[in-house]
Amino acid sequence: MQIEFSAEQKALQQEIKHYLNQLFTPELTAELAAAGAEEGGGPEFRKALRKLGEDGYISMSWPKELGGNEASAIDQYIFTEEIIRTGFPYPFLTTEACGPVMAQHASELVRETVVKGILKGEVVVAIGYSEPGAGTDLAALQTKAVRDGDEWVINGQKIWTSLAEYSDYVWLAARTDPDAPKHKGITMFVVPTDAVGFSMSPIWTLGSVRTNATFYENIRLKDEWRVGDVNQGWKLITGQLNRERLSLVTHGQAEELYLRVARWAASTETANGEMIIDRAWVRSNLAKVRVGLEALKLVCWKQAWAMDKGTLQMADASVAKVYGTEFFLENYRLLMEIVGQASTLRRDEHGDALMGALEHRYRTGSILTFGGGTNEVQREIIAGAGLWMPRGRL
Amino acid sequence: MNFELTEDQRDVQALARKIIEDYCSNEQLREFDQGERFDEALWQELGKAGLLGIAIEEQYGGMGFDFETLCLLVEEVGRCVAPLPIVPSLVLAALLVQRFAHSEVKNNVLPDVASGKSMLIAALGDVDDCGVLSSRMQAKRVDSGWKLDGEKRFVPFASRAQLLLVSAQTDDGVGVYLLPSDSSGVSMQRHTSTAGEYQYSLALENVRLSNQQCILSGEQAASALFEVNNLGVAATCAQILGICDVMLRTTAAYTSEREQFGVKVATFQAVGQRAADSYIDVECLRLVTQKAIYAVEHEASQEALAACLVAKIWAGDAGHRVSHASQHLHGGMGVDRDYSLWRYCLWAKQLELTLGNSAESTERLGQEIAEEFKALEQ
Repeated sequence: MQIEFSAEQKALQQEIKHYLNQLFTPELTAELAAAGAEEGGGPEFRKALRKLGEDGYISMSWPKELGGNEASAIDQYIFTEEIIRTGFPYPFLTTEACGPVMAQHASELVRETVVKGILKGEVVVAIGYSEPGAGTDLAALQTKAVRDGDEWVINGQKIWTSLAEYSDYVWLAARTDPDAPKHKGITMFVVPTDAVGFSMSPIWTLGSVRTNATFYENIRLKDEWRVGDVNQGWKLITGQLNRERLSLVTHGQAEELYLRVARWAASTETANGEMIIDRAWVRSNLAKVRVGLEALKLVCWKQAWAMDKGTLQMADASVAKVYGTEFFLENYRLLMEIVGQASTLRRDEHGDALMGALEHRYRTGSILTFGGGTNEVQREIIAGAGLWMPRGRL
Repeated sequence: MNFELTEDQRDVQALARKIIEDYCSNEQLREFDQGERFDEALWQELGKAGLLGIAIEEQYGGMGFDFETLCLLVEEVGRCVAPLPIVPSLVLAALLVQRFAHSEVKNNVLPDVASGKSMLIAALGDVDDCGVLSSRMQAKRVDSGWKLDGEKRFVPFASRAQLLLVSAQTDDGVGVYLLPSDSSGVSMQRHTSTAGEYQYSLALENVRLSNQQCILSGEQAASALFEVNNLGVAATCAQILGICDVMLRTTAAYTSEREQFGVKVATFQAVGQRAADSYIDVECLRLVTQKAIYAVEHEASQEALAACLVAKIWAGDAGHRVSHASQHLHGGMGVDRDYSLWRYCLWAKQLELTLGNSAESTERLGQEIAEEFKALEQ
């Protein structure tokens, strides 16, 4: 076994760190620090995303025939981890989940406009899966697309359509055969957000992050905006889930918070002159964070390695998702205890970006345990696919 | 990055598994539930197959594999809760001799360890410390050599061992001594541990040793003990991993067969969810253990120490959780001595408290972290 990066992988990591350091201009840093812009969409964000496209990072892991470099999953993980570490709101779902699927299955029109735009860093796509009545049970979705000659007419409502406020398209799952079993009557479409009949209303979350309800009212789309075969959409939805789940729980950002809190504790004195890091319980909290982080890092490394080997098991992605998301919450708590009451100040109250990040992260972290496939369902997958236990009613 | 075993390692693993499983059915293990928990025949069989010398260099009668491969054998011992002194003998004692002693000592000791002809056991730990780094036993220079006085506790198999490896405090740092277990002045008191293992309190009173019997001293002894402590911790984690993996699979299999209310118990969501939590624990334990085993061989000493502490904390915590989840999900069968699970649960607890428990390892890791970051700030 060799449980560390190879010399080439370490070099790549350094190269990416250096590159991202350059990418973060003062203007970009300032834009992302402003309330409401931390999830991206501002001009500096757009500029940086275009640069990432130009420099080949977006297409890094895409297949060669789709214009990519076919980087290994480990190299891709190194990039993902580093960019998440910086706090840049990289649109993973666009670049990792939707993009390659569209490139493979879409019409000439979609490939020329949407896919090329994604690769250039000019296009962001929001995900239109969940509905008020279809969350974890995604296949229960009701939004309808009805064929009318060469066109489709789309009607329905989606919820939690994050990033829709600045996205160029929605990657939409719609029911095209109401009589088929629920997984077999779904088709995928790309809906331009400037289409007539498209509208949205914001939903503000506990984490101050905006998401949206999106509405589709008699939207007429040419058949070219359909992706994949009619009624074959379910496979396209589930095909990219493993990479998506892995990018949800990279250890970079959590580790960055740990490093910065530890540095702060080692350089800050208490009133009686001892260093914060010399308090027994502070050390104990830092040790607990480190113990959890090490496992998370290895879980991610092993998965990336297994993807490259083609040996990734179904339960593995679920292990990462459950463990990672639950660890994040524990991580924020342990680190906030060290910083104390100052960690409860809103992020814009802080001169220090780190301390603000801690307050921001704990508020946004709670969505991860149920988002991206709720953890109870992941545990069902683990019991079934990992331990061969018979399933109950699901 | 590579998480795969080599072909040779897979062969060793398969051989170890085959031999150990042949000796460790529930019925066979029952014979060792009373009296001394040691399977001499299995020990000899492993010696014959070369597995006791798996990580001993070829020139000393071993097979010359690395520590990682030795840990595969340790994991198999865990998987079968085999009644063998694997870590105190093959890791803590034999590896200390192999890596740090003079070639003359190695020539005298290691070939017989590899063949199973004699047993070498480490008595390095102290009265009140689970690790092997400190020692209250005193060694004084006398004209012809050394005089040792003091106590060692929790020494398994001391009465079986022909040779003991003992650490003691000298006027000039710590020393490591090699002595026959029947040396004059050595007395033993037997205790039975929670897992049913005989462990001994060793009292050394005016034990006279020659200069040659002091195999390590000063800085060299201290760094040997540091390294061997890491090796012992990493190997113990491998043993706990084997134990936990079997507890988990046994529980999944049992609940998939057992019926209540007319359905398989495993189909109740509360059961599946708890088993999944154990699965996550075992996967994390596997990875941090593999990392610790890798780090002690390939990374700088402070990183190796941190990796070992991380692994031991996981082993303690996951061992505790998986053990109790397994007992619980088995219902009465989990505690029935006619069924196999109970031995695993006892061993998980025994090893959780061996060579550093979660709380003290957390304290030590915190100390390491504090030193690391204070150094960065200076």
